[in-house]
Amino acid sequence: MATNHRIKSPVLKVDGVAISYETRYGDVEAVRDVSFNVRRAQTLGVVGESGCGKSTVAFGIVDFLGPNGKIVGGSIKFQGRELVGRSQKELRKLRGDQISMVYQDPMQALNPSVSIGDQLAEVLTVHRGISQEEAWRKSIDMLERVYMPDAANVMDRYPHQVSGGQQQRVVIAMALLNNPALLIMDEPTTALDVTVEAVVLDLIEDLKRDFDTAIVYITHDLGVVARVCDHVAVMYAGEIVERGPVEMIYGDSLHPYTQGLMRCVPKLGATKEGSILYPIRGRVPAPKNRPKGACIFAPRCDYATDRCHNERPLLREVECEHSARCFYAEEIDASAWKPPQGLVPDLLAQEAEEVDREPIIRVKNLKTYYEQESKSVLSLVGVGEKLYVKAVDEVSLEVPPGKTLGVVGESGCGKSTLAKTIVGLETPRDGEAEFLSFNLTKPVSKRDVELIRELQMVFQNPDSTMNPSYSVGKQISRPLQHFKAASPDKVHEEVIRLLNAVRLDGSYYDRLPRQLSGGEKQRVGIARAFASRPELVLCDEPVSALDVSVQAAVLNLLLEIQRQHGTTMMFIAHDLSVVRFFSDYVAVMYLGHIVEMGPAESIYAPPYHPYTEALLSAVPIPDPTAEQKHIRLEGTVPSAMNPPSGCTFHTRCPRRSMLPDGGKICETQVPPWRYNTDEHRIFCHIPLEELRKMDPVVTTR
Amino acid sequence: MLVRDYMTRHPVMVDPQMSIVEAQGIMAEAKVRHLPVVGEGKRLVGLVTRERMRIPPTELASLNVWEITRFLSNMTIADVMMKRNEVITIDPDIPLEKAAQIMVENKVGSLPVLEEGVVAGIITETDLMAHLMEMLATRLPGVRVTIRMPNVKGELAKLIGAIGAQGWPIMACGGVRAPKEPDKWEAVVKIRGVPKDQVVAVLGRVEGQEIVDVREV
Repeated sequence: MATNHRIKSPVLKVDGVAISYETRYGDVEAVRDVSFNVRRAQTLGVVGESGCGKSTVAFGIVDFLGPNGKIVGGSIKFQGRELVGRSQKELRKLRGDQISMVYQDPMQALNPSVSIGDQLAEVLTVHRGISQEEAWRKSIDMLERVYMPDAANVMDRYPHQVSGGQQQRVVIAMALLNNPALLIMDEPTTALDVTVEAVVLDLIEDLKRDFDTAIVYITHDLGVVARVCDHVAVMYAGEIVERGPVEMIYGDSLHPYTQGLMRCVPKLGATKEGSILYPIRGRVPAPKNRPKGACIFAPRCDYATDRCHNERPLLREVECEHSARCFYAEEIDASAWKPPQGLVPDLLAQEAEEVDREPIIRVKNLKTYYEQESKSVLSLVGVGEKLYVKAVDEVSLEVPPGKTLGVVGESGCGKSTLAKTIVGLETPRDGEAEFLSFNLTKPVSKRDVELIRELQMVFQNPDSTMNPSYSVGKQISRPLQHFKAASPDKVHEEVIRLLNAVRLDGSYYDRLPRQLSGGEKQRVGIARAFASRPELVLCDEPVSALDVSVQAAVLNLLLEIQRQHGTTMMFIAHDLSVVRFFSDYVAVMYLGHIVEMGPAESIYAPPYHPYTEALLSAVPIPDPTAEQKHIRLEGTVPSAMNPPSGCTFHTRCPRRSMLPDGGKICETQVPPWRYNTDEHRIFCHIPLEELRKMDPVVTTR
Repeated sequence: MLVRDYMTRHPVMVDPQMSIVEAQGIMAEAKVRHLPVVGEGKRLVGLVTRERMRIPPTELASLNVWEITRFLSNMTIADVMMKRNEVITIDPDIPLEKAAQIMVENKVGSLPVLEEGVVAGIITETDLMAHLMEMLATRLPGVRVTIRMPNVKGELAKLIGAIGAQGWPIMACGGVRAPKEPDKWEAVVKIRGVPKDQVVAVLGRVEGQEIVDVREV
């Protein structure tokens, strides 16, 4: 289709915008000098770490800044019309008719007490004034357009009755009902599983093509940007530091910050060496502490000179359409970059003794079920049939000492329940679990102090696992005292040692959790877990709440401590690229079962379990030139209360057709474990020879 | 080749209450000549073109400089626009040539595209030009040859057969009744990756047909 003659002027033109928030310290400039254009059928990705002002820009476009936010300079033109200084009434009309927004959490955008159909139809009856029946019919069409299964029935359901991915589709459908010229999406897939995210991202691509919509896509995830965006603006501390076409930003980034970001994103590299993460030192300055009259990135930049500290660089065009805010953009060569001393622990130093030692933890046929109230009358008197959610079913695994086992899978696959069962927060129903010489099937309250000391955990959300009224020192000294890991007069000294080990200095001893950043809190969480010098540490998504550059630092820190103490780790994550970098062994879980397990390298190359293959093809890769097989899983994870018969994956398996009879055997028989090597096993009916013939999922040029 | 495929979606639209000074600015900023005027829910209420903005000098002649400013600032889109019943519109599922016919017969430069009263897009002369351009694969290099042939069944097949026998790829093909010769047809064919001389040599031999024009573009 011919599009080249179309209106060349951008749909949205943002020019030199500055936004401030009124606070008790006076006006704080959250965003300054932000300029970009978005054309029709084009996606502009705005990336950056949290606190860089990405969302402020998005809210600023439609003036949703709240009572204390205001645009203090610049102009925002939508289709030639100035938006800055418009009345709320005029803006409201534009927002309804021509600009739509999709936010991170679909549950907050939907009204929980109104059915999905009524919410969708309302958009049309209010903005277009069309009849209820007509609006209802159009809403069903739009739900089908966003690939909602069983659209007509979904209309009668309430938001909590559909899955997270489907909720987000409802929100996207709602945003598109008025056929907007501009769509602003603020982290629309961050709360979703990778497989669901992949489907939503495909959908966004399709919609952009069919509706000619201009999209502003805000995200922190460089992998997602590479998949959906045409142009990228990289934000740092309230300013755009680099802007250009997506291939140029990834292939030939000009600004040291962009280069740093690229180095700290986990990649699905072929080797462990290729997946080392290099964190950016320091942290994003708070808006009121940003350097004035200097390059904002200078304090963290490896190339900074006197000029950078004394003069503010402007965003200037270095190549065609590719701009950077750096004095030395032409001279800096990212490929010649060498990590400064001490930035990354020497992770490649292989441990010398490769002795075959007995596994430190051994789990056999472990089952953890949650009892569910049956709705029958008989259950009221206690004789009804009991229903169980089989969260962990027939799980067997072993981890040698000093190694790391990564456990991956979508949400609801039972990985956290497995961790909770091992630390004793849940009691298994059946099976054996042995750690050192302890039996792990007892709940934590009945366990020996000895065992608890040897088995510690790092939690996902450091906020909710720390007592907000205890100082950092007190948090860390508690396990020391409790487990008598240090004599009473040495406790303070030991806490300082632990703080230093996680790269925090002694001044943190008296701070309260609220005075720490997310990354610092997680470091305290790690220090606390390692305080009793445990043999095994379980990490449940320890970095998923953190920014990429902080994530890299925390992961490196964990690895370093592990090397020093020879600790064994179980690392639970949904992100396959993080696990790749971190683990010696990987177990892939689906619906309570382990479906594939083996050394990390073998998981990322054929033969794959079909589920692993689908997961790998869904992971967004931060490289626009990488080619990925297009495998998308149909439907959602089935309920663990009523798992499918035979192979639990058969309802969604894209590879079933490889078997005779369209894989009838998968429905009736539990698959065998097929051993590719002694350590690498796959839980599938498809013979290994067939699985080996598959192409690798990811090919990078 | 329907209006739906060639229209410009999300055209720049204005409210009837907007002042013409602002509308003028938008036309210049967005580089467009036609502004659909919409009310609630993007329903079409009128159309403004550059001509409509031209205020007849007779209306201004009696005003002095100060009055002109006031006169202009009080004028809104609603005062100058073509009203809904004067505006000719089109449905997105109409063939493109039909849109061209409507525009030629009514001498208008643009047609707002309506889906159930709501503006879905706009199609202008430029869009039709672009379509003509694409139909003849203007942007791609090749040999463009015009053949005149009798208005008889099977002649075009003969020509295409001759090209097909050589295994040459056809990028574009169009036919039109020859101007001033009602019993003849002219066909324009664009062929890729073949030298001009060869095209002339082969197509010159097709019986009963003559090459009117041939050029490498």
